[in-house]
Amino acid sequence: MFKLNNRDCEWQVGLTVKELLELKNYTYPRIVVLVNAEVIPEENYASTIIFDGDNVEAIHLMAGG
Amino acid sequence: MKFLAKNDALCIGCGECEQVCSKTYFKESDREKSTIQINDKKITVCTQCGECIDVCSVGAISRDKNGIVRINKKLCVGCFMCVGFCPELAMMMHGDLLEPFKCIACGKCAKICPTQAIYISKES
Amino acid sequence: MDLKNDQAGHKFLKEYNYDLGDLDRGYTNRTLYINVGTHEIKEKPVTPLMKDKFIGGKGFGLYYLWQAVTEKTKWNDPENEIIISSGPVGGITQYPGSGKSLVVTLSPLTNMPIDSNAGGHFGPFLKFAGFDALELQGKADQDVIIVINGNKGTITIEEAPAGAVDTHILGEQLTEKYAENEEDKRNIAVISTGSAAEHTNIGLLNFTFYDVRRKGIRLKQAGRGGIGTVFRDKRIKAVVIKFAGVKGNQNHPADQLTLNKTGIKLHKEIHDLDNVQNKMRKIGTANIIEVMDKYDLLPTHNYKFGAHKNTFKISSEVFISKVTQNYPDGCWHGCSMACAKAADHFELKTGPYKGQKVTIDGPEYENAAGLGSNCGIFDPDAILELNFYCDTYGIDTISYATLTAFVMECYENGILNKERTGGLELNFGNIEANFELIHQMAKGVGFGKIAGMGIRKMKAYFEKEFGADPKFLFDIGMEQKGLEFSEYLPKESLAQQGGYGLTNKGPQHDEAWLIFMDMVNNQIPTFEDKAEALHYYPMFRTWFGLNGLCKLPWNDIAPANNKFTDEPAKIPEHVQNYVDIFNAVTGKTIDKHELIRQSERVYNFQRIFNIRMGYGKRVHDKLPYRAMGPVTVEEYLSRQERYDQQLAEFLGYDTTGKSAEEKIKVMREYRESQYEKLTDAVYKRRGWTMDGVPMVEKLREIEMDLPELIEVVKKHV
Repeated sequence: MFKLNNRDCEWQVGLTVKELLELKNYTYPRIVVLVNAEVIPEENYASTIIFDGDNVEAIHLMAGG
Repeated sequence: MKFLAKNDALCIGCGECEQVCSKTYFKESDREKSTIQINDKKITVCTQCGECIDVCSVGAISRDKNGIVRINKKLCVGCFMCVGFCPELAMMMHGDLLEPFKCIACGKCAKICPTQAIYISKES
Repeated sequence: MDLKNDQAGHKFLKEYNYDLGDLDRGYTNRTLYINVGTHEIKEKPVTPLMKDKFIGGKGFGLYYLWQAVTEKTKWNDPENEIIISSGPVGGITQYPGSGKSLVVTLSPLTNMPIDSNAGGHFGPFLKFAGFDALELQGKADQDVIIVINGNKGTITIEEAPAGAVDTHILGEQLTEKYAENEEDKRNIAVISTGSAAEHTNIGLLNFTFYDVRRKGIRLKQAGRGGIGTVFRDKRIKAVVIKFAGVKGNQNHPADQLTLNKTGIKLHKEIHDLDNVQNKMRKIGTANIIEVMDKYDLLPTHNYKFGAHKNTFKISSEVFISKVTQNYPDGCWHGCSMACAKAADHFELKTGPYKGQKVTIDGPEYENAAGLGSNCGIFDPDAILELNFYCDTYGIDTISYATLTAFVMECYENGILNKERTGGLELNFGNIEANFELIHQMAKGVGFGKIAGMGIRKMKAYFEKEFGADPKFLFDIGMEQKGLEFSEYLPKESLAQQGGYGLTNKGPQHDEAWLIFMDMVNNQIPTFEDKAEALHYYPMFRTWFGLNGLCKLPWNDIAPANNKFTDEPAKIPEHVQNYVDIFNAVTGKTIDKHELIRQSERVYNFQRIFNIRMGYGKRVHDKLPYRAMGPVTVEEYLSRQERYDQQLAEFLGYDTTGKSAEEKIKVMREYRESQYEKLTDAVYKRRGWTMDGVPMVEKLREIEMDLPELIEVVKKHV
């Protein structure tokens, strides 16, 4: 189990940030991803592995209207 | 097409070009009012690429018959979009002036440059 | 009155000359009053109180409207006014999005003040011509045109020529008529509406600007709340303004250099980052159509669903291919955000202009979502053509789209049928019937006349005439306070329900847009968090309307380092830009906290104005249930897994063996109670009583304890 935007999320071994975003259908171009409060640069999405108990934030900088 | 070409490697940072430019254009000696800028022996000046022409929404920027990109001050509304969108950062703004200003490749600075770091080129 | 002919060949009903005056630090310190009924024209001084408490823009509009009307005034009484004002920052040419006109009137849809903003060149030209605001009052006994020449200092009320009312023709004709030559056309701006504004309550005002590259007029709209309906009721056909010689220091700002530098900083940011962020220059606001669909937030079939399998047919890529311009453009000088888009040489397939090749402004996101998915239409050409007709006929695309979606659901539910619609088969997705409906509105005939009343009046009509169930109509009719919802699906975001519901003018997204912050990012989990957001964002966004500014350059672009700031959602660097440009124009020294207080004063004034008119209380902030949760079994089943899980998680409710109807009932009780709790928290944060009335202490705290406000408030606490 890990947190995604402060909600519980099922954990899988070897889950990367890239896979998580695909899994959640997070397709918006302006997402800031933080793992345990550290900003992950987009080029590292595929290589960043999420561990059990991590706190992941995927903040959509969605302006709207 | 005529433009002011440069060779940064030859620049010694003397600033003579800036002085002659501001004197020619604004009748005063103020490097902030020069259309060519030298910082750490790096020369910033318009290449006459013309990207600003399409950025201008009031049609105040156009290319003349010699290929020089010119600003029509009468039409210019002083929005400075061209300054922010210049790929060379060579469109200039000064607080005293309502319109941006830029190099028109007159060649005065090339004549005064002691190292030929800048020169008028007619290649395309 | 000495009647004579002008060069254009129509009669002058009144001629007035004025001194051009000076613009100082963003203000002309003078406003213009025109009564089209009595032909009275006068100048009024702008008082220090107006500048201190109301700033400008919609602040000035609300201030004048308060004085013009009584609590009994109706939208179509002669004393109702239309006030147009830019605001102190409006008209600067350096910072993107600085050319907005704010329009205020009593709305035929809500019977209270509405404010709506539009781009185009009118607002800045009005100020450069010498006036911080224009008040239009009275009712003419024949169609009139008002012409303001800001270089000569003349104002005329002229008998309008017979002929075109629709904007794409009238705007072009008037630009042609009042310009001396091609070069002069850029100096003309026209306000007008169209033929459907006369027959509906959803009329809008079109604001033109002359596109020197296209050599034709372009249109921007003050869309919401039926302002165009009031305009035509006053029998004003157009207001034409002329001003030549716009320069970058027209506002005589206190600090030109700061304006230049702040503007260039943002131009550069947009140049460097727009293409990797929102692509506003490429496609404008339509960039989010497919994003909304992916996140299940695209209003579909009258807000029943949030996505559709055919959305790809109306995705932003499709519209990019329809937009024929090869350069980005804005609606006022210096707008490098440049969201204005157009499709040229579009051949119309229906209506009175069938076969004509026209330029269509748009599409913006709202149009594509409203005219498209919400009505079940996934044909981009149909959306563009409906967009064109809404604009030229002078009706609000958002209200038109939302009320058509409502009509379609009524049709599919048997509340309407072919007999009742006069033959229109208004199923979701019926393009032909949709076109017929809009053309009927322009002619004021058939079912178009009924639909044009707006959802609120239609609900009453359907109940009375067809015996429809008022409860069901209330649940699915997506209006609140009489205004149709804009095109976002608020069902799954409590904060956005508040963003739509706890508003001054009804469910628009000018005040707050919190869906992602709330629903996806989960950044505002508690009621207090949500209340704070529903305090800050409406106040911050109100400020744009006080100053003649557009919201888009605030957060449709963000600095590269924004994600590392303490509050990325607020875009702190841009907030500071606004503080800087306000101070640079006016010479004042506000900070980001005073900025919010400036808005709070006007926001509370508007709330109290609503209360004075008999609205603006808690009961008026109630939402139709379609905005809050699943009304029908069909809707529940479409998201069954999610809803079942929520019932288990939030209420410990065992859903096994329960019917959808039972679950809908339990869900509804829960969600309605959540909204009530949110309302409590928001009222508390805003300094209002639990009935939604601003408290005297709050008014004192923000230095807005004006006697006329205290008088109203005291009657209601």
